Order: sequence, then C-alpha cells, then structure tokens
Amino acid sequence: MNVMAVVFGAEFVRRLTSRPFIFATLIGALGIVAIAVLPRMLGNIGGDTRRVVLAGDPALTATARSLLARDFDVTDVVRTLPAQPTTAFLDAHGKAAAAALLARDAGGLRVTAYARDPSEFRSAFARDLSPLQVALATGVPVAAVREHLTVPVDVRGVGGPFADESSAVAAKGIAYLFVFLLYLAILLNAQSIMSSVAEEKTSRIAELLVASVDPSLLLAAKILASAATGFIQLGVWILVGVLSGNAVTTMFSHGGPSAGAAMNAIGPLSVPPGEILAFIAFFLIGFVQYSVLYAAAASLINRTEDLGSVAMPLVFPVVVGFILAQLALENPHASNVVAFSEIPLLAPFVMFTRIAVSSVPAWQVVLAIVVNVAAAALFAWGAGRVYRVGLLLYGRPPSFRQVLATLRG
Amino acid sequence: MGTLVLSRVARSFGSVTAVRDVSLAVEPGTTFGLLGPNGAGKTTTMRMILGILVPDRGAVTWDGKPVDGRVRRRFGYLPEERGLYGKLKVREQIAYFGRLHGIASPDDERRADAWIERLGLGEYAARPCAELSKGNQQKVQVACAALHEPELLVLDEPFSGLDPVNAQVLLETLRSLQRGGTSLIMSSHQMWQLEDLCDAFCVIAGGTVRASGTLAQLRAGWPTRVVEVDPATDELRRVLEATPGARALPPPESGALAYEVPADADPAALLRRLVGAGDVTRFERVEPSLRDIYLRAIGEAA
Repeated sequence: MNVMAVVFGAEFVRRLTSRPFIFATLIGALGIVAIAVLPRMLGNIGGDTRRVVLAGDPALTATARSLLARDFDVTDVVRTLPAQPTTAFLDAHGKAAAAALLARDAGGLRVTAYARDPSEFRSAFARDLSPLQVALATGVPVAAVREHLTVPVDVRGVGGPFADESSAVAAKGIAYLFVFLLYLAILLNAQSIMSSVAEEKTSRIAELLVASVDPSLLLAAKILASAATGFIQLGVWILVGVLSGNAVTTMFSHGGPSAGAAMNAIGPLSVPPGEILAFIAFFLIGFVQYSVLYAAAASLINRTEDLGSVAMPLVFPVVVGFILAQLALENPHASNVVAFSEIPLLAPFVMFTRIAVSSVPAWQVVLAIVVNVAAAALFAWGAGRVYRVGLLLYGRPPSFRQVLATLRG
Repeated sequence: MGTLVLSRVARSFGSVTAVRDVSLAVEPGTTFGLLGPNGAGKTTTMRMILGILVPDRGAVTWDGKPVDGRVRRRFGYLPEERGLYGKLKVREQIAYFGRLHGIASPDDERRADAWIERLGLGEYAARPCAELSKGNQQKVQVACAALHEPELLVLDEPFSGLDPVNAQVLLETLRSLQRGGTSLIMSSHQMWQLEDLCDAFCVIAGGTVRASGTLAQLRAGWPTRVVEVDPATDELRRVLEATPGARALPPPESGALAYEVPADADPAALLRRLVGAGDVTRFERVEPSLRDIYLRAIGEAA
C-alpha cells in the first residue's frame, strides 16, 4: 500500500471528524448566512429611523408626503409644530424619528427638521424634496419636474468582461464572496495543519512517524488531506451561500440590492467557468504557500501554547492579501494593485479578484501563476527542510540564524 | 534477514558533535546492546540507523546496501520519548502504524487484534490512547513498532518508566521476537536486562566506540579477575598478597578474602598454593560483569 495514501487517508478522516473542522465549517456557514440575511434584516429594523411627521401648509405637505415616500414613512401630517418639539410630541405622532416643518419663503421651500438624531435626514430630505423646490421656483408642476429630473442612463461596458452595470455589480458581489471564502479557507486550513504538526511534535509521535515515512511525504500528505477537506468546507459554504441567497430573495422580495441578491447570482450557470477555474487554481496555490509555511513554523515549537506567537506573523500576509483584494475590487488595473497581484502570498487574493472583476491581460495571469507556483515550490522546499529538522528539535526554540543555517543545509 | 553495518558514521549539530566515529555490525537474528552515559550519542546513532538523521560522514548499510525508504519500512522503532495520537483509539492506532509499514487492510486489523490480546490490552482496544496509563501506552507503542514483524527492531531505553510487571511483559515480548528471528538493537541503563537479552554489546562515550563485542570477547579483554577465598585466614591472605600483581579489595558481605589478580594469572596454580597454605572451603574466580566493563570503558572506576 502506498505510504502517502495511508497518511492521506488517516489525515483526511482525522481532520474531517475533528471538532475544530466541524466548528469552523458551521461557524463559517453561519457567517455566510449572516452576511446574506443581516443587511436586509437591519434594513427593516432601520424603519424606525425613517418615520417622520410633517407640518405646514396642506398644499405643501400633501405633495411632500408623496415625494418623501421614496425614503420615509410619514406617520402624521399636522398644520403646525410646537416651538420646540419634544420626544413626547414625536412619540405621540407615530413614534416618529423626526418632525419637519415645511414653509415657503422668497427662496422657495424651507424645511426645518427636529430629529432625535440630527445627523440623519438632511441629504435624504433635500434629495426627495428637490422636485418640489424646483416646482415652486419655476411654476412647473411637480410631476413634470420629477419626470425631467429622472435622466435615463444606460451604462454599457467597454473593454471589460461585463456588458452592463448589473452584471458588473453582480460580479463584484460574487468576487467579494469568493475572496472572503478564500480568506477563511486558507486561514482555517493552514492553521489546522499547524495544529496537527504541533500535536505530533508535542506528543512526541513525530519521531515515530519520520522513522516510518519520509518527512517530505508526510508533509505532502498532510497538505493534500487538508486541501481536500478545505474543498469540502468551501463546497458547504458555497451551497449555504446559494441557499441563503435564495431564501433572502424570497423572504425580502420587495426589491433593492443586497448581498443576498449577489449570492443568489452564484450558481453553476451564473459564474463564468474561467472564474471557477481561477478560484480553484489560486486557492490551491495560496493553500500550498501558506500551509507549508505554517507547518514549518509549527515544527519549531515545543509547546502548543507557543502556536499563537508563531502563527501571528503568518496571519499578517493573509489579512493584507484580503484587504488588498478589496482595493482590487474597485481598481483592478491600478498600478500598485497590478504589482500586488503578482507577489507570492498576496497574489491568490489580489489576482483572483482582478480576474473576477476585470479583463486581466493574459501575460499578467500567466506571470502570476508561474511566479506563485515557483514560490510555492520554493516555500515547500525550504519548509520541508525546516520541518524535517524542526520535528526532532526539543528544548530551546532555534534562533532565526539556526533556521537560516538549516535552509542552507 | 540482513546484516546491519555502520561504518565510521559521524553526525554533528552545529558546533556540537553528537557522534564522532561509530562502527558496528549487527548479525541477523541477534540482539545488540548499545550502552553509554547520557549524551554519549546512542540516540543519534539509532536515528541514523533509521534514516531519521543523515550521517555527516560514514555509511549505514543493510545487507551491503544503503538503507533507503523501502528497507526502512522493514525496520521497527520504539523511541525513548514515547508518543501516540491521544484521540485515536488503541486498535486504530496500532493498525495505522501497521499500514505505514505496508500491512494492508484487513491484515492490519487482524494483527492489531493479535497484539492487543498478546499484551493484555483487550479492555482498552476501543478507548482513546490518552485515557490509558503510561505503562499501557508503552505497550501500545511496542505493538505499533512490532506489528509488521520487522527484520530489525530498534529500541531506545525500552524499559524506562515501566513498573516491574510491565517490564516483565516487555521482556517476554522481546524474547518472543528474538525467537522469531528479529534482530534487535536496544539501549538501556538496566545492565542486567541487557546482559540477559543481548548477544553483543557496544559501549559508546563521547561519540566514539569505547568497547564492543560479545560478553565473552569483552571479558577476554578485561585485564584482571577477582578471586574470593574462604575462610579469611592470615595464611591464605599471605598467599594472595604474594601473588604478582594482586591487589586487595574491600571484603564482600560474606567476609571472604577478595583480591584482584591479573587476568593471565593461572587460577589452578593459585588454588594449589592456597590449599598448601591452609584449609580452603571456597575458591571463586569472578568474571567481570557488564557493569564493570561499561564503567571501565567510559572511564569510571569499576
């Protein structure tokens, strides 16, 4: 029986049935549901802050009420307001968040608002009531002004992969979700490899293992098993994402963009095959790059309590990569983003994002793959040497110079 | 079955030389004892035999060929620092190590069951290893090391930490492996156990071989012998004192006369002289023990 298959099988089962893996998968799935559902739920909760009571000339308030319906729920309309409206007044008028007094003066419409939170209202009021202001100033009926203020804009894509605005917005949503999954999967699974190596070292089973299995094979089998469970984890998360996207669209079907709608777009038919391929490729590249580094670092510790301090410097590039991916979502062709998309450890996040939201020149993709595969091989080589020695090192952790000496052989 | 040969192997870690120059040969089916003080280089030597460490110099061969991964899978190892997967159940753990050494399923489980029975671990077979006592965990490790019926079993301090009952179980297990033709290399500070089990020995100190061979060969090279004579009379003491090269030793508990004499001193002639001087009720020529040889080899007074 192939020894690598034996280690792979044992590692795969051990990882798949381990509590940390099950917890991480469940918590990740819950997080995805939260991303899909919360924005809409919070949007509904936010209804309280949009309740207003209007005061003023009935001719003005009637028109304003219809205009404000776009963003506000007008709970009551009165002729006048007290000199200084109180919260009791707002409570008495439909628990409104604000009261607005509408009046005409030489400049047209003047609005004085009394709000529980004064930081709200100004821009939305000004936007919604602007047709009334123009109507009062020009004498043109409000309906006509509204019609003229609505400019039909049809945005068509040029030089990119998207034909129109909606497909570009959906692509960004999908890219964001995929990068988030990439971030979670790489971080969780690389740390899981780290724990596994640390367990084998601190429990002193490592020596028994390396007497039977070549350390490089042992490390390779561990990483393959972790990649396999990582794909299963991703599969669960993507399935949960699609299902919760559908559920959100059904539950909150009264329109408006949402993360749920973006998730809903994720399906075998709506995600381009090239993007799926890029996701798989950069997941594997990133996974190998980080896993070998985490494994090598774990082989140097003597107590599981030291895992955190060793993991810290390795979490840093994952977080940076994730943040840079957010920049790449908005500016995929910015020169610094293009540069970052070629750099090992960052490229899995940044280049994937660029591919998902823009047309990346083929040479840049090929260069990123070549550089990052080479970097993964280099990391694996170096990590293999450190791992081989580190597993049998007990006592004081080796100094940085000793690690370098190990790398030089 | 093959012959293991180490030819002038050396290994350093940075500025520290763990093994300076070690050569030894383990014949097929024999048991070889590796002796030495802490830090002598025994564990490093064992790790080089198993390919865990690569020698800086010299060679390790099995039947005249370098020890590669394929050969190594026919070896077994019980390291000094014991370790098991704490959450893995006893039966699964033993079977897993069997598979790592090429025992395919379902033979791995069948053999695991046989070892569990043999070592009296039946009631723990389905329990995670972390729940077992230290002694029982050690038994599990022995099973892990020997399940695949290795041609060579390397045991680093196999008796350390074992209570007398478990030590006896291990001793019997090792004897059974010897009968089965497995070559054994073991280190131990329990001299009597090594003397009882081993066919040949190698004393290592400071990373070099200080003495090696069978016990008879090691004794043959010992320069003196101890003679004990009863009763402790002045006449007999005078004869012993007059023997060239003789040196009085502290008397044993029995109160007999004890003298160290040159190894080449003729015992029959000495006995004749003693009998001529007075009544002799006991005359015993004591061979040096392994402990004596060990202490002398590493530079301590015997």
